[in-house]
Amino acid sequence: MTTYIARRLLAVIPTLLGVLLTVFLMVRLAPGDPAQLLAGEFATPETLADIRQRFGLDQPWHVQLGLYAANVVRGDLGQSVRTRKPVAYELRQYFPNTLRLTLGAMLVALLIGIPAGIIAATRPGTIFDLLAMLGALIGVSMPVFWFGLMAILIFSVQLGWFPVAGTGTLWHLVLPAITLGTSTAAILARMTRSAMLEVLSQDYIRTARAKGLAGRVVIFKHALRNALIPVVTITGLQFGGLLEGAVITETVFAWPGIGQLLVGSILARDYPVVQGAVLLIAVAFILINLIVDLLYGAIDPRIRYD
Amino acid sequence: MTRSVANAAGKRETPRWRRRLFRSPLAIAGFTLVGIFVLVAAFAPFISPYSPVEQNLRGTYVPPMRIELRGPEGQPGLWVREVSRTPLGALEVGQELYPIRFFVRGEPWVWWGGLLRSDLHLFGVDGPIKFYLLGSDEQGRDILSRLAHGAWISLSIGLIAVSIGLFIGVPLGLLSGYFGGTLDLVTQRIVEVMLSFPGILLAIVLVATLGTGLTNVMIAVGIAAIPVYARLVRGSVLALREREFVEASRALGNRNRRILLWHILPNSLSPIIVQSSLQMAVAILFAAGLGFLGLGARPPEPEWGLMLARGREYLATAPHVATFPGLAIMFVTLGFNLLGDALRDALDPRTAQ
Repeated sequence: MTTYIARRLLAVIPTLLGVLLTVFLMVRLAPGDPAQLLAGEFATPETLADIRQRFGLDQPWHVQLGLYAANVVRGDLGQSVRTRKPVAYELRQYFPNTLRLTLGAMLVALLIGIPAGIIAATRPGTIFDLLAMLGALIGVSMPVFWFGLMAILIFSVQLGWFPVAGTGTLWHLVLPAITLGTSTAAILARMTRSAMLEVLSQDYIRTARAKGLAGRVVIFKHALRNALIPVVTITGLQFGGLLEGAVITETVFAWPGIGQLLVGSILARDYPVVQGAVLLIAVAFILINLIVDLLYGAIDPRIRYD
Repeated sequence: MTRSVANAAGKRETPRWRRRLFRSPLAIAGFTLVGIFVLVAAFAPFISPYSPVEQNLRGTYVPPMRIELRGPEGQPGLWVREVSRTPLGALEVGQELYPIRFFVRGEPWVWWGGLLRSDLHLFGVDGPIKFYLLGSDEQGRDILSRLAHGAWISLSIGLIAVSIGLFIGVPLGLLSGYFGGTLDLVTQRIVEVMLSFPGILLAIVLVATLGTGLTNVMIAVGIAAIPVYARLVRGSVLALREREFVEASRALGNRNRRILLWHILPNSLSPIIVQSSLQMAVAILFAAGLGFLGLGARPPEPEWGLMLARGREYLATAPHVATFPGLAIMFVTLGFNLLGDALRDALDPRTAQ
């Protein structure tokens, strides 16, 4: 187990380096002078000279990459063109909101997806099953941005139940979390259904039923606990996927998270912030997947790491 | 494997996978949705009554028009009244009824780079007014016409992006799975790095580097599909490489290239086909997402995501502007997802019942 963890941790390093290289190349490959991109359109010659010096832009690429990597490791991601504040500071301002949104969305997804999957699996072929699976299909196909707009239109504009946009109270979180969580709920519902169907056809379920246990006990104690193993994996992996959806959801609801920061910075050509946000999302995604991988072994004792 | 087989009577039997494909109602729904989408995209100027970019400042934010089934003298048919904006911005509904006619002559159009020219439209109104079946947007442009032309944009993005993914990702997967070694190691590291930008983020990173605009969106969404194909194909190659028929082919003295193209590729086609249908959905969704974020198509392009973003600003007063592009994106995505599921069920013998 320990060797497995160590090996998994080591395997992440080249990926992290690759991500760093990609983010580094973003500015170098974009059309235009990298110094200008990093300093902003209206930079003075002094700022430009300073940027050139700090990022070693007059030096060969490998030196530049080394400088960039060293800065990133020290936590120095440069300075925002728009606000003139350090990028790391900006990210710290926005990231907690994204975390809150993703956690809320995951809660929504679990509360809808797993019950829907159980209901569908315990009544296969009925109208419940059909409705749940059709809903899941639509949930997967619905564009997040449109679902969010329709939710705003119905629940905020027409019914006035929730605020249209912004952040602050728990009420502000409800619509964005539902919007972001719906497609994950759909994926979880499909996953739970197929895992439950498979478990329900096992011999030990028949045994449990044959010895006269109540249907509820069989389903929740015998079937669900075993069916949940693949569901937990998917849940973990979806966590990363939620980071992606957050980028769009935040724009729809003017939710001040990392995604909105990223999109706003791209539109404003604020490259240092773009780099920082991309780096942060990718690293968070890699780490979440790593943790899920490691937790998987803890949940399912049948998995052996050789 | 997928060829028709002649039975004893010499009649050709429909291959099993094709019979299975049309068994489920969801599969038929998928085919229908994708079929409608492709037809609308291919004949966009014929289906749309107006040009997608023509403005009409006297008809901004007109809601979907009401169609009357009785004419001024009670005669049956489809009739509409003029809806326009007064100089103060209020909606004004005219008194006079005008008939809707099918296959009418209207604005001339050129399509497929000049291959098709006509002035025939599927329908139009007989009279000096404009007929907005699905309403008009902030510049008085017909939403239906924009949606139809937008279908063409979405289809092109989907096809080009999926082709980029196929033509780069599949060979990469084939080679790295078959030969292994350093090539495999390097390819897999690159694939891993690409996949650590979740979903649309990779496309966003590419667009941020290349710049916005439709061409760059196609390239970005296409590149984002490469790791998906590379990983998928590598997986099936790894399984096929050890099979007896590959060994037999090698024993016969066939070269690697022949084994790869004649034995391994045809046997890994099913997952590639399934993935391509799902990938069309992803590509269309990503492109619309980029358009919505303002990182994709640029105005006045009738791209669905961009239309949605413009409609967002007037969601309270003119909800139809954002509603219809969203529905279009959803149905097309749903169609390709259903089609992908149906193809998987039909092509994968393990799910056969």
